Amino acid sequence: MIDPKEPRLQPAGTGGVIPEEVAEATHIPHPESLPEYRWVYLWRWPLRVTHWVSAITITVLIVTGFYIGAPYFTTWGEASSHYLMGWARFLHFAAAGLIVAAAILRVYWLFAGNKWARWSSLLPVQARDWRNLWRTVKYYLLVRQESMPHYLGHHPLQQLSYTLIYLIVIVQMVTGFTMYGLSNPGGFFHTATAWVAPLFGGIQTVRFTHHALTWLLITFIPLHVYLAFRADVMDREGEMSSIFSGGRFVRADVKFEDE
Amino acid sequence: MLAPTSHPWTSDQTLAEHLEDRGVSRREFLDLCGKLTAMLGLASVVTPRMARALEQMRRPSVVWIQLQECTGCVESVIRTSEPSIGDLVLDTISLDFNHTLMAAAGHAAEAALHSAMEANAGQYILVVTGSVPLKDDGIYTTIAGRTAKEVLEEAASGAAAVIAVGACAHWGNIQASNPNPTGAVGVSDIIRDKPVVNIAGCPPISDVVTATVVHFLTFGRMPALDIDGRPMFAYGKRIHDQCQRRAHFDAGQFVDGFDDEGARKGWCLYRMGCKGPASFSPCPIFQWNVRTSWPIGAGHPCLGCTERRFWDTMTPFYERLPQVAGFGVERRVDVFGGALAIGVTAGVAAHAAATGIHRARQRKQLPVMQKPPQDAEVNRGQD
Repeated sequence: MIDPKEPRLQPAGTGGVIPEEVAEATHIPHPESLPEYRWVYLWRWPLRVTHWVSAITITVLIVTGFYIGAPYFTTWGEASSHYLMGWARFLHFAAAGLIVAAAILRVYWLFAGNKWARWSSLLPVQARDWRNLWRTVKYYLLVRQESMPHYLGHHPLQQLSYTLIYLIVIVQMVTGFTMYGLSNPGGFFHTATAWVAPLFGGIQTVRFTHHALTWLLITFIPLHVYLAFRADVMDREGEMSSIFSGGRFVRADVKFEDE
Repeated sequence: MLAPTSHPWTSDQTLAEHLEDRGVSRREFLDLCGKLTAMLGLASVVTPRMARALEQMRRPSVVWIQLQECTGCVESVIRTSEPSIGDLVLDTISLDFNHTLMAAAGHAAEAALHSAMEANAGQYILVVTGSVPLKDDGIYTTIAGRTAKEVLEEAASGAAAVIAVGACAHWGNIQASNPNPTGAVGVSDIIRDKPVVNIAGCPPISDVVTATVVHFLTFGRMPALDIDGRPMFAYGKRIHDQCQRRAHFDAGQFVDGFDDEGARKGWCLYRMGCKGPASFSPCPIFQWNVRTSWPIGAGHPCLGCTERRFWDTMTPFYERLPQVAGFGVERRVDVFGGALAIGVTAGVAAHAAATGIHRARQRKQLPVMQKPPQDAEVNRGQD
């Protein structure tokens, strides 16, 4: 606890304070009980690179992908003086290559990363996380907020939703490269994805799946951005800055499930 | 399958002697060999070998059986206004048994089939058009009182090679499409003990049949096949990647209606639901009717007839994507996807509003905040 008699600014890393106007806004009951803050370094650079490369490439992939699916612009004049669909496809394939690179880094980091980035913290495999799942759901349903289990990394709902997003992205990669492989029969992508079209029941179903899952990824964006901002505003524990700087300021008196 | 000729290919003649009889010059014959070499995707050094093999060839026996089908494949093969030498070779060798074209009928036709199979046991090429219905003991196609399955199995047992021509023999075609009332399957689903070459398409291009037969006669084996049993030389490339309208695709120039400016300019039919990007066939190169035209060349989107289950998977033919099943015919995936995205965004907004209300209520219930100690005022300056 901070002694209120002492100057209330602490050096970074040894704990911190929150400014008084923030304390007022968040209705922390008494300045004397102002919690000590500490900085936790959670997301090391591979994870942040994965996140931002994914964010940018998924945006590019959605925009160019919908153009490829339904080309809404028409160019006029000689065909030789335009390359609109060509560029859309080039950007789509280039972004696809980048996100695959990011995915490879992420898979490596599932095994080499710290305990908040490892596979065991991403997939809801631990009994503790399954027990906490319902409490987390209740928190988001605005019931029994105080019983929210605290996590430094991903809480159970995040674990579930991010696992689902990873699975969707993997399906997108497989279906995408299946269609990409068609242009070079007998080539690497065509041979490696030969099993996909029969599994889906035809290449058009593969195309449909690729298109439909894009909508699920789009759906994820407002949810993800809203909940991240919300956590930042409600908990004031540096949720947003953690994906930029890698670390969070968290209250020293909070017990975290995954520490 | 031309009109009966006054110079039938007798069994003691080689092909070279026979072509000479028919008035085909050696130059024309070598021209054919060169074309077939190119068609098969082989190096030109193979041409002399092919010419030698073909000119020394004795009359090969081909038995062409037709099962559950519309006869369109035979019609496609014979609808050539000026038969090329390739057609001539194919026509000449195909005469042993083909019940659409042969003069005999009834018992005489059956006798011709059996004598051809017995005389050339283990050596004839079996060409099959039509699928094989299996449901209800195969009663939906019977020939001379026997089911299609029995006819096929008997014919295949003595064949040196089996060529399944057309989408019906390939996988069953429209009769095998959902709900497949007769239980139709393709030839390769029945004949498991010898390789079956699938000449896919509804109908396929007759040049592909010719080239495949010639490959077998030249090398004694079938050409390289893809995973679906189709010859790589013909089905090794996508229509989309060989299409003469491809430049308009890359440029972003698309037809929106069959009578619009883009259609008149010959632009890409992608928006019209063209399945060229999903279909493998030599249509843009080989074309039909003595290389006159082909569907996309004539301004119609490709239906994807060389692919398995195209009636189920490539439909609707004039749309890019399949429709969402079970939600009415006009619903498309974008309607559902868009509704989902808007719904989630609205849900997010509602949740944010609910959070705000909840927060405000909690705030009222909290005890009034105590004033901070006086010295906090001093420290504020340092902040």
